Amino acid sequence: MLRVAITRIGMAVPILFGVSIIVFLLMNVLPGSAEAGLVSDDMSAAERQAIRDELGLNDPMPLRYLHWLGDALQGDLGYSAQRRRDVSDLLIQAWSNTAVLAIVSAVFGISIGLWLGYLAGTRRGSLIDRVTGVLSLSGLSIPSFFLAIILLAVFAGGLRILPSGGATLDQGLWMAIRSLVLPVLSGSLITMAITARVTRASIVDVAGSDFVETLRAKGLSEFEVRRHILRNAISPVLTTSGVQIGALLGGSVLVETIFRWPGMGLLVFTAISARDLLVVQGATLVIAVTFVLVNLVVDLLQAWIDPRVRGAVS
Amino acid sequence: MTQVPVLLDKNFGAGTTAADRAEADRRRDEWNAARTSEQSRSFWSATFRRFLSNRVGVVAAVIVLLLVLGAIFAPWITSADPLLGKPTERLQNLGASGHLLGTDEQGRDMLARVLYGGRLSLLAGFVPTLGAALIGTTIGVTAGILRGVVGTALMRTMDMLYAFPAILLAIAVGASLGPGLTNTIIAVTIVFIPPVARVAESATRRVVVQEFVEAARLSGAGRLRVARSQVLPNVLNDVIVYASSLVGVAMIIAASLSFLGLGSAPPAPEWGYMLNSLRGMVSVAPLVAIVPGFFIFLTSVAFNLASDALREAMDSRL
Repeated sequence: MLRVAITRIGMAVPILFGVSIIVFLLMNVLPGSAEAGLVSDDMSAAERQAIRDELGLNDPMPLRYLHWLGDALQGDLGYSAQRRRDVSDLLIQAWSNTAVLAIVSAVFGISIGLWLGYLAGTRRGSLIDRVTGVLSLSGLSIPSFFLAIILLAVFAGGLRILPSGGATLDQGLWMAIRSLVLPVLSGSLITMAITARVTRASIVDVAGSDFVETLRAKGLSEFEVRRHILRNAISPVLTTSGVQIGALLGGSVLVETIFRWPGMGLLVFTAISARDLLVVQGATLVIAVTFVLVNLVVDLLQAWIDPRVRGAVS
Repeated sequence: MTQVPVLLDKNFGAGTTAADRAEADRRRDEWNAARTSEQSRSFWSATFRRFLSNRVGVVAAVIVLLLVLGAIFAPWITSADPLLGKPTERLQNLGASGHLLGTDEQGRDMLARVLYGGRLSLLAGFVPTLGAALIGTTIGVTAGILRGVVGTALMRTMDMLYAFPAILLAIAVGASLGPGLTNTIIAVTIVFIPPVARVAESATRRVVVQEFVEAARLSGAGRLRVARSQVLPNVLNDVIVYASSLVGVAMIIAASLSFLGLGSAPPAPEWGYMLNSLRGMVSVAPLVAIVPGFFIFLTSVAFNLASDALREAMDSRL
């Protein structure tokens, strides 16, 4: 297991490097994008040049990347001129809010999806199977922001039973929990849909294998048999869970924007409209690195649970 | 090339002179072409027949077709201007006289906006999928055949792009390129290239070890010819099935970008942008406000169902 862990961690390092290169390139491919927001139209060429010099934008690209990476590794992601704050300060503040939303959404979406997928997979062709099929198809096809708008209109506008915006803990725990309901619902429907689909397919697949026949033949109760099926079917579900958490982090841009949830997503949205690219860059880097780490944890978890995965690596 | 095709000498008469070899090449190609086209014709017609027997898939395909036709023939279907509204006719409900789908917050006819908007939204669904299928397949097949340093480098680069949540990568690319439909299409294409490349690469790896590829190689076909005539047709099935499931996703990502202000420039109607601009009206005219979102949803459901049906229709042969 230790060897598997070391191999997996070793594989994550080059990926993280690649991520940093892509994030760096994204914000530097277009001329002028790096200093956008600091330069205005009425500046003279000399003033612009001074700003470019100060930011080190006249250095060759690889050198600039190394500078940027060195700073980033020390927690310095630049200074947002619009916000008059360090980008990392802004991100740290927003980070925990997004994490709360993403974790609650992931737990909710994955557990409901797992449950529905299990029911559908073990009772193929039944009513619950068909309902799950329709639900996961809708979940896959409905844009989260559209769902968010509908939920807002119904529960915050029409019925007035839930708040429309994000609340912080100073407004009381109850208020904070209530303000989570709508964002979690709109963000996690797709998580639920995909988890249900994958779980169902995996259970159907495992239920048809020979060892299940053997278990039944040796007289195990149906409950026991299903326990064995679930344990063997869980691996693909875990794989998608990692991807789902990443999707929730990325999708936070839309959900947080609609519910005014003070997280990374809302930060990215306001930064896009203000052309504050350093904030977009910083947030993209942090979310992508988190995504890689989440997948690493999922990989390790999978190797721990499933000996077949462990064997494939070592 | 000279020493290998001994086995096939009898079949194609490959001799020792250059002219003989060229003649043998020509005849072999002819034979291969005749065989594969005959095979693929029956495969596609069988697939098509199986697809037609799937009622859900047919309904979904018809909906897609209607949406596409509606977008193409928008000016013939409605005479209303999608950009020009009458301020006196703001926010009319569905079914109002002269406005089947009502009017938006500026009094513009919603039916016209949905139809014309379908042009941009469907374009944003199809073009990135096609582009990514083309580029991703090229990368995947190349990596699958060459392997070695080039193959590894290509696929590791794909892994790095894959390390981003899809929607975040699209947003980041869109933000760095700036708003506009073209940039949205580029952003979504970039997001889709790595997964298509993965599908193509794993299909290629599966195909290259099979006997007919070995046979083609032994009969003297070069790497490029093997790739084109033996590997590609067999990889394409996987890619087509996978790509068909991406169209709906592409539309949703593109709509998300324009919802965030990164899509096509207003006032051009695009479903995501329309949804955003009607967002504030949801308590005043809920039905009208939901129209653009409904069409995104409908199109996406139709594409997903059609894609599932296509997968089933193609799978039963494998």
